[in-house]
Amino acid sequence: MFAQYLTRGVKAGLVAGLVFGLFMAVVANPLVAYADELNHATVEESGHSHEAESAHSHESEGTHSHESEGTHSHGSGDSHAGEGGGHHDTAVSMAVTKAVSVAAGGLWGVVLGGAFFGVAFFFLEPAIPGPDAAKSYLMGLAGFITVSGAPWLVLPPAAPGAEQSLSVATRLPLYAGMMLAGALACLSAGYAYTRLRESSGLPAAIVGAVVPFSLLAALAVVAPENAVHGALSPTLETGLTGLFAFGQVLLWLVLAAAHAWFRLSSESESESAIPTAGRDSAPAAD
Amino acid sequence: MATANTVNGRIERARTELSPTQMAAGALFIAALGFTLLFVQDPLVHDSLHNFRHAAGIACH
Ligand SMILES: [Zn+2]
Repeated sequence: MFAQYLTRGVKAGLVAGLVFGLFMAVVANPLVAYADELNHATVEESGHSHEAESAHSHESEGTHSHESEGTHSHGSGDSHAGEGGGHHDTAVSMAVTKAVSVAAGGLWGVVLGGAFFGVAFFFLEPAIPGPDAAKSYLMGLAGFITVSGAPWLVLPPAAPGAEQSLSVATRLPLYAGMMLAGALACLSAGYAYTRLRESSGLPAAIVGAVVPFSLLAALAVVAPENAVHGALSPTLETGLTGLFAFGQVLLWLVLAAAHAWFRLSSESESESAIPTAGRDSAPAAD
Repeated sequence: MATANTVNGRIERARTELSPTQMAAGALFIAALGFTLLFVQDPLVHDSLHNFRHAAGIACH
């Protein structure tokens, strides 16, 4: 049974990975490259590009391992400053970056599918309220809140070239901490909902489910503030941030939809006892 | 199939269905995944993931 769940989760992950890889290739890659070019142009125009880049690199990349290791082929000290200053011809070419990013987009879907819809769903399914298909979508919502939604309350997706006031060394643990807080909020909301639904009825259950998310929002308000100062126009930055957010929402929606769909198909298959194509039904495990 | 349909039931179920070898393999896989995440900090890999990190909303620079 565990193997079945894992297989279904990974299958949903493959579908979502395909969609997100496509999103990377068609939407995200060209836009990041375009934004990088714009940043580059801005730096060129400003005439003191080198000074600007050094300042940027100090602020936005100062604690980054790139700087201290000095393994960049450019070796001029401002090699990675492209992030802050504009041009992004860093250790690897844009073509490689694009290809690797598309592949990573695909893997991202598979990893999330396996972890959330394979492993976590197997254990949590009995505790998730609602009918079967709704459970897939609730799992998707919880996954989105855990991986992206909660951390984004403090650290929203950054547009290329944006400078952030918090250092990387601060932001990474902050991001991880908000992921943990998001997961806890989802788990306790589900727990409160199920408990209160039995004892006190639906209205109380809904209130009980809302409380953990209010606490999450309060936590985001208390968390250190990250001022983002971008080199692009505010409209473009908002657009990019919104688009990256949309990409993750899309990913989780596809994951949930594919997961719900694979449940239906696997149920009808097991009822009619017709073996599937063979390679993915893992009959030995039952 | 008699295990109760609860979270605890599922944990029980995983315990009976999975052999120690499979659980060890799972733990090893998670460790490998963690190691990969550390490896992703390597400049070459990190930079080639640049567009992906933006799209996933976890740009760290
Ligand atoms: Zn960037």
